[in-house]
Amino acid sequence: MGDAPARRADQAAERIILGWSVVPPNRDAPTRPSAFKALFLVVSFGLVAYMIVVIGGLVVYPPLPALIESLTSPEILFAIKLSLITSVISTAFCVVAAVPVAYSLVRFSFPGRGIVNSIFNIPLALPPLVAGVALLIFYGPSRFGQMLSAAGFDVIYTPLGIIVAQFFVNFPYMVRVTRSAFETINPRYEHVARTLGCTEWGAFRQVTLPLARSGIVAGLVITWAKSIGEFGAVLMLAGATLMKTETLPIALFLNMSTGDLDLAIAASVILIIISVASFAVFEHYSGGQEVF
Amino acid sequence: MLKIRNLSLSLGEFSLDGVDLTVADGEYFIIIGPTGAGKTILLETIAGIYTPDSGTIILDGRDITHTDPKDRGIGMVYQDYILFPHLTVEENIGFGLLQRKVDPGRIRDLVSEIADLLGIGHLLERTPGTLSGGEQQRAAIARALVLRPRVLLLDEPLSALDAATRDRLRRELKLVHRATGTTVVHITHHFEDIFALADRVAVMQEGRIAQIGTPDDVFRRPATEFVAAFTGMENIFYGVSRVRDGEATIDLGTITLRTVTAVEGDVCVGIRPEEVIVSREAFESSAINVFSGTVTEIRQNGIFSRVVVDTGLPFVAILTPQSVARLGLTEGKPAYVTFKASAVHVFGR
Repeated sequence: MGDAPARRADQAAERIILGWSVVPPNRDAPTRPSAFKALFLVVSFGLVAYMIVVIGGLVVYPPLPALIESLTSPEILFAIKLSLITSVISTAFCVVAAVPVAYSLVRFSFPGRGIVNSIFNIPLALPPLVAGVALLIFYGPSRFGQMLSAAGFDVIYTPLGIIVAQFFVNFPYMVRVTRSAFETINPRYEHVARTLGCTEWGAFRQVTLPLARSGIVAGLVITWAKSIGEFGAVLMLAGATLMKTETLPIALFLNMSTGDLDLAIAASVILIIISVASFAVFEHYSGGQEVF
Repeated sequence: MLKIRNLSLSLGEFSLDGVDLTVADGEYFIIIGPTGAGKTILLETIAGIYTPDSGTIILDGRDITHTDPKDRGIGMVYQDYILFPHLTVEENIGFGLLQRKVDPGRIRDLVSEIADLLGIGHLLERTPGTLSGGEQQRAAIARALVLRPRVLLLDEPLSALDAATRDRLRRELKLVHRATGTTVVHITHHFEDIFALADRVAVMQEGRIAQIGTPDDVFRRPATEFVAAFTGMENIFYGVSRVRDGEATIDLGTITLRTVTAVEGDVCVGIRPEEVIVSREAFESSAINVFSGTVTEIRQNGIFSRVVVDTGLPFVAILTPQSVARLGLTEGKPAYVTFKASAVHVFGR
């Protein structure tokens, strides 16, 4: 009995990693599963096995010494560093921008709120490649792009471009998660805080933000993970220059193109670890609520 | 004094439409009305959460219609407590004092003083989620009261509680009101709250005030059909209840009722007019309350007749016109009123 909590934790971890949800046992269920149930379960377990084999197979494909050597190669270390720096900065911008946007969409009624909401959702459906091309045009030949360039902010084919691309594509995700965090907070908390002497800012900072904290942390983690993995928009706007705009996904792409499989797999392994870990953190903070 | 003049606000499905009311200092003012009558948004507009489309709110001679909620000196307590879940009970009660930059030692003293008054002094270290409904509502009331608000707004403060807790907290509200002298505006849909607490009562209907008056006025002399239908209890009397062996005798001054209740002391009793039987002669039955009197009024009221029999106290009864004719009732003639002990609704005061 002593290992029950550990087993529960294992099950929870499994659920997060494999993405299947455990159904509570039905006491009245016949001992022999019906053909219906059996078929559906076979499909489910078959696909789970398929995913584990595919992803796990990638990790165990190269011999371990070769994997470690690749992981510590200058190129991969550069990619890790660049990915971490750009994703942390773009995520910070996403959070700072998404909080007021999400709050406005939840609390304020203003003309065109529905349209604003839809516009923020467009990048969710837009292929990142297309977003990247649009950004390229905006920051390149457009007047705004030329002004920025004249002011010394070169976005195109620079690390700054990576941040801009990550922000543009992932900001809507942050808005979505943050919005659902604010939606769960009864506006009466703010009303009471204001009758107790808070300004609107004070009520927001002392009551709303602490209550939305786990939702915002969940959004932050998933946004960060998506930023690290962002490829299409980054490729278009920042290019794929070796050791310059080479983030982990770009490193994966470049090394695949040149047939350097060990380095490509090393980049993949890091991306797998990041996505699994961040998804576990996300699930923990979001309480399993459906966001996407 | 809180004066509300011609207050209007439209908020989608809820609205206020020319609300006028005045609440005196230290008064316990109750607003009653059906769901959707606009009671909560009236309170929230008084608190400053919403800005009215038109009209004014004047508190102690100062126009506060456009004053920020934090500067109004008005406390608000909701039905669902709205204690900040990330703070302890002590931090919740001290929240407003902290905003006013009161010295931490002084906050501690004031919080424990008000917590003791409300009987939650032993719960200060707990978080709201671990408290019962009654305890949470006490904490929410303490949080508002500790700032010594000029007006305390209570939005159905007892509605989320079970019956026993509700009765106890209602008595405590009365004591707290007496102890602090705070002006209270209290929304409810329980008539017991009115009889137990209210100095005056307003009935709201579709964003408007249908009637304002003492509970006696509103229940006995409903100004509109809506109020009459909504209150439905015209025979309201005040007296003193004494309970012996489970049976209560209620001395109303000129007459004494018998009923079954556990409520003793000062009480308000209500008897629905349709439960009062009128007869020419006294008759023997299971109904224990029989009083002789004189018919003072017979009035056609829709398909029924409203008959008032004065037995020392005026009893209103609802009869069919056929019964009035059959009994030969006319104004000035003697008659008896009869009703069962179970028809007497007793409210502690």
